[in-house]
Amino acid sequence: MRAGAYPAFALTAFQSRLAYRNQVWASAFGELVISFAFIAIWTAAFAGQVVVDGATLPEMITYVMIAGLLYWNTDRLINDVGEAVRTGDITIFLLKPLSYPASLLATHFGHYVFDQLVVTLPVLLIVGFSVGLLPPASLFHALMALPFWALSWLMLFTLGTLCGLLAFWLLTAFALEWFLKGIMALASGAIVPLWFMPGWLSGILGYLPFAWVSYYPTAIYLGKLDPPAAFLYFGIGLAWLAALGGFLAWLWSRARHRLIVQGG
Amino acid sequence: MAAIISADGVGKTFRQLKRQSGLAGGLRSLFSRTYTEIRAVSGITFAIEPGEAVGYLGPNGAGKSTMIKMMTGILTPSAGALSVLGREPHANRMRNAREIGVVFGQRSQLWWDLPVRDSFALNRHIYDIPAARFADNLAFLTEMLDMGAYLDRPVRQLSLGQRMRAEIALALLHDPKIIFLDEPTIGLDVVAKDAVRKFLARVNRERGTTIILTTHDLVDIEEICPRLIMVDDGKLLFDGELTRLRADLGSRRRLTLEFATDPGPLPLATATLNRDEGAAKHYLLEDEAISLIDVLNEVGRGHGLKDVKLEEPDIEEVIRTFYQNKSRLAGASS
Repeated sequence: MRAGAYPAFALTAFQSRLAYRNQVWASAFGELVISFAFIAIWTAAFAGQVVVDGATLPEMITYVMIAGLLYWNTDRLINDVGEAVRTGDITIFLLKPLSYPASLLATHFGHYVFDQLVVTLPVLLIVGFSVGLLPPASLFHALMALPFWALSWLMLFTLGTLCGLLAFWLLTAFALEWFLKGIMALASGAIVPLWFMPGWLSGILGYLPFAWVSYYPTAIYLGKLDPPAAFLYFGIGLAWLAALGGFLAWLWSRARHRLIVQGG
Repeated sequence: MAAIISADGVGKTFRQLKRQSGLAGGLRSLFSRTYTEIRAVSGITFAIEPGEAVGYLGPNGAGKSTMIKMMTGILTPSAGALSVLGREPHANRMRNAREIGVVFGQRSQLWWDLPVRDSFALNRHIYDIPAARFADNLAFLTEMLDMGAYLDRPVRQLSLGQRMRAEIALALLHDPKIIFLDEPTIGLDVVAKDAVRKFLARVNRERGTTIILTTHDLVDIEEICPRLIMVDDGKLLFDGELTRLRADLGSRRRLTLEFATDPGPLPLATATLNRDEGAAKHYLLEDEAISLIDVLNEVGRGHGLKDVKLEEPDIEEVIRTFYQNKSRLAGASS
């Protein structure tokens, strides 16, 4: 198969989302309400103080907006994989001359781009013009935030797919999904940055892969990490991605083996 | 000509975890697991030539789908040798997948939210179909399957019959050498079934596409497949022409005679009494040569015969008869 089929998957997924116009409006509106709720909470928490734990209020507002943007909703991904496993539809992918994980990656990249363009970007623009957002701390931090962004999405994709694929053995992705959500809410830094947490907790969470989803990319954007630290943490993040990706590949080969030997 | 598919003693055994009942059993199974072996397919041997249309027939749980999965490369045989287009299908899954088309009656391969046309376009990329070839095939399939009216409608808005036609078109866009259809007419109404059958027969005739089709429905076989492979309990029961099966079996037709009032016992020489409900009597016609007229002549006048119903044997009946006659057929089917 030509590699050209994978972009076609992304495009097809993107198109399929356009079919539900009301869903688009509803998610964008919901996202906007949540954003203003977070802004209100942080404004109240600062209660007139200029700096809390080394962060200013405009920094915090920018933080929650960007961290929230990065914390992409993996429900659809986990559900897709879990359903394909549960109903046995996964065999359909094996009937085609393509790699299932690769076509999954392409498909959900299409969904991701759709979510960012149609839901997140308008919300960012509205908040940017009404409340105001900070620009990246420096040119270095702006450029560095881009690979961190890519790493963040790949990390989310890998975690979500792992979660869905485990349904092969546990028969339901539902419980795992809740577990992942709980962990992510705390450990990704999407809601509260790690620098506000007690030292021992941020020490642990700072080395778990979840922190690369929201915390590190946003911290880079705001200039909270100097260049050597930025490269160091990018390296650690890559190592985590490689480890989780390896685990995913292993799990998928086990699942495939089980499918073709046991018939699912 | 070399066989396009050949199976030589193919078998498939599944290992199934034995679930123990009760809490104690559940706890025990955490430590020691016992398995039961299930033979889904055993010792199947056949050869299919290019351009053939073969019906793969059997009751539920006969191992039809397992065999289809092995031939399409998504299940490994546990015994015997299987070759599709000169390759072992599971060891060459990707290459095999390029040259076959598969339709599952109960699973959809179309994108639910998108117009049918978009799923077709995605397949063009997956199978790397040249643009001109794709356009030709799309035009041919659209016309043959009468899809023009709904090509631009989202799949979720289609009727089952329309969707099934689209599924079949999707599986044929890349000019597969073999098309496997697992119960393609399941759940369709009479008109839709007829359209699907006529189309498949034509594709087989005009394009020389080899067709392997599993079904419960004998009419599917009659209209599409000159050749029939019958399985039950994982084993091959019959391989040959449908007409020969009927002739060999002397397939038993069912005859119901309804009388105005119970005429009392009514034994006949031309038909065997199967069940007597008084006013309604059920017979089996064992001999193909005996016609309804013969039976009615024997019954004669005077019993107040009200209604007569003659039924062709359905698949279950054929298989039941088959079991009873297996010893007699052992020589004929080899």
